[in-house]
Amino acid sequence: MGLKIFSLMKQVPVANEMRMGSDGLMDRTKAKSIINVDCTFGLEQGLQIKKSVPDAELYVVSMGPPSFEQSLKKAISMGYDHAVILSDKRLGGSDTFATGLALATMLKSKLISQDPNDKFIIFAGRQTSDGDTAHVPSQVGENLGIPQATFVEKVEYQGDHLQVVRMIEGGHQTIDIPIPCIISVAPTAIHARRPSLVGAINAREAKVTMYGLDDIGLETTFIGLNGSPTVVSNVVDIEHTRQKVVMLDGETPSDKVNNLSKIFSNAVQTAKSSAKEKTEIKPTEKANEFPIVDFRKGASGILTWVEMTGGQISKSSLEILNPARRLADELGTKVISVLIGDNVASFANQVIGHGADEVVVVNDERLKEYSILPFTSTIAQVVKEKKPEIALFGATTSGRELAPRLGSRVKAGVTADCTSLKIGTYVNKRLKSTFSPVLESIRPTYGESKLATIIGFWCPQMATARPGTFESLPFDNERKGIVTEFTPNLTDADFISKIVNTERKEVGGQALFTADVIVSGGKPCGDLDNFQGIRDLVDALKEQGIKAEWGASRQAVDRGFAPYARQVGQTGKTVRPKIYIAVGISGAIQHVSGIKESGKIIAINIEKKANIFNAVDYGIIGDYVKVMPELIKMVKNGYTFGLKKSEDIK
Amino acid sequence: MKKQIIETDVLIIGGGPAGLATAIHLADLMMKNVESNGESAPVKLPYKIMLLEKGGEIGNHSISGAIINPIALKELLPEISISDMPFESEVKKDEVHYLSESGKITSPFTPPYFGNHGNYLASLGKVTKWLAGIAEKKGIQIYAGFNGSEVLYENDKVIGVRSGASGIDKHGNPMENYQPATDVLAKIVIFAEGSRGSLSKTVINKFQLAKEKNPQIYSLGVKEVWEVPEGNIEEGYVAHTLGYPVDSTQFGGGFIYGLRKNMVAIGFAVGLDYADPTFDTHHAFQIFKKHPFVAKFLKGGKIVRYGAKTIPEGGYYSIPKLYADNMMIVGDTGGLVAMPSLKGIHLGMKSGMLAAQTALSALQNKNSSAQQLSMYEKLFNDSYIKTELYPVRNFRQAFEGNLYTGMLKFGAQLITGGRGFGSEKLSVKEDYKHYRPLKSFNDNTFMNKMKDELSFDKITTFDKEMDIFYSGTNHDEEQPSHIQIVSTETCQTCLEEFGAPCQRFCPADVFEIVEDTKSNKKSLTLHPSNCVHCKTCDIKDPYQNVIWNTPYGGDGPEYGTM
Repeated sequence: MGLKIFSLMKQVPVANEMRMGSDGLMDRTKAKSIINVDCTFGLEQGLQIKKSVPDAELYVVSMGPPSFEQSLKKAISMGYDHAVILSDKRLGGSDTFATGLALATMLKSKLISQDPNDKFIIFAGRQTSDGDTAHVPSQVGENLGIPQATFVEKVEYQGDHLQVVRMIEGGHQTIDIPIPCIISVAPTAIHARRPSLVGAINAREAKVTMYGLDDIGLETTFIGLNGSPTVVSNVVDIEHTRQKVVMLDGETPSDKVNNLSKIFSNAVQTAKSSAKEKTEIKPTEKANEFPIVDFRKGASGILTWVEMTGGQISKSSLEILNPARRLADELGTKVISVLIGDNVASFANQVIGHGADEVVVVNDERLKEYSILPFTSTIAQVVKEKKPEIALFGATTSGRELAPRLGSRVKAGVTADCTSLKIGTYVNKRLKSTFSPVLESIRPTYGESKLATIIGFWCPQMATARPGTFESLPFDNERKGIVTEFTPNLTDADFISKIVNTERKEVGGQALFTADVIVSGGKPCGDLDNFQGIRDLVDALKEQGIKAEWGASRQAVDRGFAPYARQVGQTGKTVRPKIYIAVGISGAIQHVSGIKESGKIIAINIEKKANIFNAVDYGIIGDYVKVMPELIKMVKNGYTFGLKKSEDIK
Repeated sequence: MKKQIIETDVLIIGGGPAGLATAIHLADLMMKNVESNGESAPVKLPYKIMLLEKGGEIGNHSISGAIINPIALKELLPEISISDMPFESEVKKDEVHYLSESGKITSPFTPPYFGNHGNYLASLGKVTKWLAGIAEKKGIQIYAGFNGSEVLYENDKVIGVRSGASGIDKHGNPMENYQPATDVLAKIVIFAEGSRGSLSKTVINKFQLAKEKNPQIYSLGVKEVWEVPEGNIEEGYVAHTLGYPVDSTQFGGGFIYGLRKNMVAIGFAVGLDYADPTFDTHHAFQIFKKHPFVAKFLKGGKIVRYGAKTIPEGGYYSIPKLYADNMMIVGDTGGLVAMPSLKGIHLGMKSGMLAAQTALSALQNKNSSAQQLSMYEKLFNDSYIKTELYPVRNFRQAFEGNLYTGMLKFGAQLITGGRGFGSEKLSVKEDYKHYRPLKSFNDNTFMNKMKDELSFDKITTFDKEMDIFYSGTNHDEEQPSHIQIVSTETCQTCLEEFGAPCQRFCPADVFEIVEDTKSNKKSLTLHPSNCVHCKTCDIKDPYQNVIWNTPYGGDGPEYGTM
């Protein structure tokens, strides 16, 4: 029996805006193309398998224009044996649903052996830098009918199965997953190896196998622009330019720090977000130009999934009830929430109190911990029965894999990581139709530089929203709703992956990607108190229920004050917290380029002329040793930079 | 995983103009030969030519002024007309100025050897990239992103080069993504590594190829490319300056070139034979940009790229023996730069073509012994390389220590056919031997004299940190430092004696002296990932305490247009 490894790879333009074209300007069309960074981690995991199975055959697999050849050959120079690409003009405009289908069809018809003794493993990166959806691995898995694990940090080959460690909200989960399977690898796994010279020589000689749609026998019904369940209806640029820094003055460090409480108060934040939502309903123009088409065909209701984490309702699941409630009211329909777990009926009232009209409770001891296959099956069966027009999920590590897998199963398009959800209309001039009402799912894309509006045409119209995007509605004791029980039909096949261990504990650098507040220290913080002040502030924030993490500048890492995993900047991690606090960091351009997409940036530095003040929103000139205790005191007294607590509601 | 072994007929280390010219000419000669044997439309070269380049792409590490004398390119590619070569502009206006602190004296005539009539302004990175494209089509195997980490010997003869392993942590332990080294065995290895080649250095020492020669001496040139508003500068404009901000004890000057599309190449080069341990070429360049004559060209513009390179300028007497058994040296690595015009691209390419001619005849004779390869030296002596270098063989030596007496001596050389009034061969000492102890300067150092000029506005002048960003340099942080300190104890001696000049001579902030706040003890911290591969540290460290090795292939600056 032979083992084949298929690694899915996409070529993307270099996203780093600090990279310039030959004319000195950033030009995306001229931007250099590279292997999508996340995909390099998938490629590496494939190569790692060769350590256990030396005769495994390695295929790098892609879909895209022939210009992807350079990246396919790069994979060969790293050690892959074969390169295959699906390339067909008719695939242009395919969304993730269509991409997942097309890739799976090619794998099935051309690459996967018909002999069940021949095993295969598919590796993929977590997500692409130009799409950011993380959908395709789940959708390929669903279309092939194989189990999956996403956000995987460790893979161990154990004969007939893999033991993988995947990131989950606030921790890790170890899963035994049978082969064949598909694994999407997180960028905290083993870094991709460099090409070898022998590999480069092989790549020079290698032929890339190119297939078209006709070769793989795929009709155009479900692919390309017309076959995709979603389209991008609008894209606008997000302005990233920061206003000039506001220096926070005062006689004493305490005075200076206290200015912050005026800027980031809870009251201000709440007022802003509610104002934003009120402006969302607007009369549509030109709606009457073409006949109005209602594609819902009787589907109605907004479905949400209530995720249980460690015996509690996940915060993001309560948050998603807010837009669900609003959309339901606007459409004159109801919110149906699916609550899955072992003995979870008692949580139904909480779901109703936060905005649901109906809670579908699924009780099964096998469903105590979330697992992709039985949860997909369960929700798919609920969808079939309830026929909702919209389905919403929190974009947790579970929601981000569940939604696309479910989408491929029930034939629906999914929009990932939405920051805004509206009801609108969509005028299609080619079809001379006005689709109304449609769900407008708005999300940042292209490395957060653009805001895209995505429309889906198949019901349910699915979307996920990042945790923290919406504020959960206040609990209303008076709200009434109905609770129904549902018993799904689950088979052994739904339970072929086994959860070995679930551990909820944050470790190291990875948390920098999800933290709401990052406090980073420069070299002086190490010299003065070995980062104690930085860590104390983070601890104080955590005590207040804020997802806070600490980072460090390269100078500080070079001095050994912090591990490389915590390095923020061009050669470390690019981070996007809501609040970034740079303490004692001079503001080298290399550091600034790694933090510029943060929400608000505060700099504390003793040097009035420090470069960092040119790149931040608020500046405090002061001595680290004196300012930090004041800031820590404020946080201990309940100040949280206007952020909400992110711990799960009890 | 074990190391891997591959074989080729000719291995060229370095994808600069010299290495690429070697490869292209060798392929052309091979094919000419095949055609004359009556075979038609050959698709495969009769001998394998492999070229390794440490930059991630050809051109990433190419940097020069550059003014190119097109003579070698015309000869290499006779079928291509000048107008189809990727030059920026023909030199249209050629000026030489002497700068005082606030003014300038324009030389009424172009000093001898400074003339650039018939030469072309170019971005060397664009030229090498273009040449690589041509070479690929001719069947040459070019592998960019692979370093040469070690020379391989057998019976004291070069038999190939090792391209280093990767996936090794800072402490030298293999990690999970380890890729083993590859040994490339070749009948003939051609070193085209550029200035102060790290492998060539070991080979030259091992075979004593520089015996009885003058040591090689260098300049460090730092350069920026700018995009400026329309009207700031004319395309094809060339200005060279002497004087400010360096004093008459130093051999150096600036250049300002008007390129296409309102781009400006601007730079400053200073001989590394200076005595002042606080001298900083990067800072001198920034001060130079503040001079009113210079600043006007940059006004309203913005920096696009930054880079630095050393230039071997010892001249004829500093050229080592360029061949030994199974190997030859071409280009900057061999010190083939004509002074005082500071031009070496055409000589480098020409040397490559001569080496190619030699290599083919060696391959055909199945003999690559030193005796067979001595043909290279004969060809060299009959070529315009010698004609250009010999009359100015004593030029650079004359300027050791003083610009004015240097000019007088050079004047004498001009009327005596290069000999001057003195011995036939002027000697020279290594750059690092020129330092004088810090104390002997009585605070009259570059840093003290210039202290009011050392603030950089980040608009037209930049600190090193910011300039490095514009070099595009990038190194994997997980690798052993490619900059090796022989002895940290020596660093302490150096701190006392010279105040650690590494902080100053490095144009990329690789070296930092850090003071421990508790013990007040000063020590050296390295930032190898800042490195732009100029190798000044390997040349100018007063104790020769720094060794520059190649980092992982693909690491380093990303010049492209320098």
